[in-house]
Amino acid sequence: MTLLVATNITKTFGPLVAVDDVSLTIDSNEVVGLIGPNGSGKSTLLHTLCGRTLPDSGSIKLNNREIARMSPIRRARSGMAIKFQLARIYGQKTVRENLLLALQAETSLIGLLFSRTRHRFDSDIEVLLSDFGLEDFVNVKAGELSHGAQQWLEIAMAMARKPALLLLDEPTAGMSPAERQSTGELITIAAQKCGILIVEHDLGFIRSMCDRINVMHQGSIVAVGTPSEIEKDERVKEVYLTRV
Amino acid sequence: MVIKGRNAAAIAIIVAIAAASPFIFIFGNDYITGTLTRILILGLLVLSVELAWGQTGMFTLGQAVFFGVGAYSAAVVAKDYGITDVIAILSVAGFAGLIIGLLIGAFLFTGRRVSELYVALFTLALAYAAQRLATSWSAIGAANGIPGIPFPTLFGLKLDSGPILFYLALVVFAIFFFICLWVVNSQFGLTMNAIRDDEERAEFFGYRRQTIQVLVFTGTAGLAAVGGGLFAITEGFVSPSLLGIALSTSAVLWVVLGGKGTFLGPLLALAILQILDRRMQDAFPQFWPIAIGGLLLITIVFLPKGIMSIPQVLRERKSQRVLRHSAPIREDIQ
Repeated sequence: MTLLVATNITKTFGPLVAVDDVSLTIDSNEVVGLIGPNGSGKSTLLHTLCGRTLPDSGSIKLNNREIARMSPIRRARSGMAIKFQLARIYGQKTVRENLLLALQAETSLIGLLFSRTRHRFDSDIEVLLSDFGLEDFVNVKAGELSHGAQQWLEIAMAMARKPALLLLDEPTAGMSPAERQSTGELITIAAQKCGILIVEHDLGFIRSMCDRINVMHQGSIVAVGTPSEIEKDERVKEVYLTRV
Repeated sequence: MVIKGRNAAAIAIIVAIAAASPFIFIFGNDYITGTLTRILILGLLVLSVELAWGQTGMFTLGQAVFFGVGAYSAAVVAKDYGITDVIAILSVAGFAGLIIGLLIGAFLFTGRRVSELYVALFTLALAYAAQRLATSWSAIGAANGIPGIPFPTLFGLKLDSGPILFYLALVVFAIFFFICLWVVNSQFGLTMNAIRDDEERAEFFGYRRQTIQVLVFTGTAGLAAVGGGLFAITEGFVSPSLLGIALSTSAVLWVVLGGKGTFLGPLLALAILQILDRRMQDAFPQFWPIAIGGLLLITIVFLPKGIMSIPQVLRERKSQRVLRHSAPIREDIQ
């Protein structure tokens, strides 16, 4: 089933056309990659999908619901979650508190004030801690975690929202090979529960993770296909692979 | 609710004040009683700044506007309408603060995200405008303010002595202090901190950031206004300075000196400065304001987290000293 359909997305900044008439689809439980050289427009496209910036034109439908003009809050409540390039976790709060923050986001204000769901999410927290290998750090301040663990915590927080679509902006940036492998395993598990879009520079990682890859260049998608198709695509070799 | 650490210490201080107060009245004098009462009243203003800024990241430089609104509302209700019941007066004061706070909060935080600096400058301008308005508005006494506010009553009993007014301030302060502790220890408090630390991230989780900011801003306005109402009925007068920049920035100063993010630190800073202020202002009227400015600068440079961070700073220095002395000297790399 098609989860996300972005059609004819265009975003300009003054005279610069950052995203030029781009269309993109993601199916449920599909892992889709978005690659491209620096300045190709993939971050801008990701930002238009998540609501950080609004597109100038085009349509974005999540589960057949138009979300192109929605705020990030409404998109999050419609089933979209994001992990940013630099882990944006709450460093002064413990790992448990970070997960609770993600889980309680839709608790009513009265419920929050009276802490009605503080213990209701205990089992969800335990599952997330176990799935993401964070059991030993439950009461550690998130800011004290290693770089890799911070990234995993942010993915865990995004998954805590039980999203239909998970957007991952360079999930392996700055990671060691072992951490990259662990991240790949986590994403594979996550893909059983939702569709995933990965923006990534690490081509090896993208090839191993994705069902389909979109290649961007100068604001447009120049190729779409399976990893093996993308590897053979002459246009991709010309605009992207030879530059890395 | 789990009460631990600094919260427990703050509660202990309130209990200690209550327990020590009979001795203060026996061995003390009106001056001491008046100072303590004022500390408790201004403590409500400090709590409101700490909730707004320290806990939610809304850097308000005009919180005295709400304190003043509460003070003037109480003065008008008590003097012009002859209502002296303390619960009614404080309810009116708090309600007036809530209304003004809601209007300003909705204007500030509805729509796109605004920076701390924007909030600071807006509220600073608001404090300036409010003081100017009060200074020129004859219906509320213009520059003279409203003197001669009658003593409050409670269930028909007149509260007309220093110690009784002190206990009134203590009870009101304790009630709101516990409410503040309850809020920051709740899941809502966790959400306030999330918005303070990264409001965009909170939005991407689906938190209604605007609603929470408006709600907290409104609540802190109501809290400050209750403090103002209490000030009016215990001091017996109100003046335009209660709405102005000086009191607003003083409240921020107490929070900075005490340590943003805690209740105990700012309250301690308030108490210390209030006690010193009255003595030093008389003894060294020209030197004292300079000393306060210097103290603020020193705190920002050496104790950016305020006086509450002194034990932590000392611990870190000690551990650094231990490391320096215990580190083996490798001759091969010298």
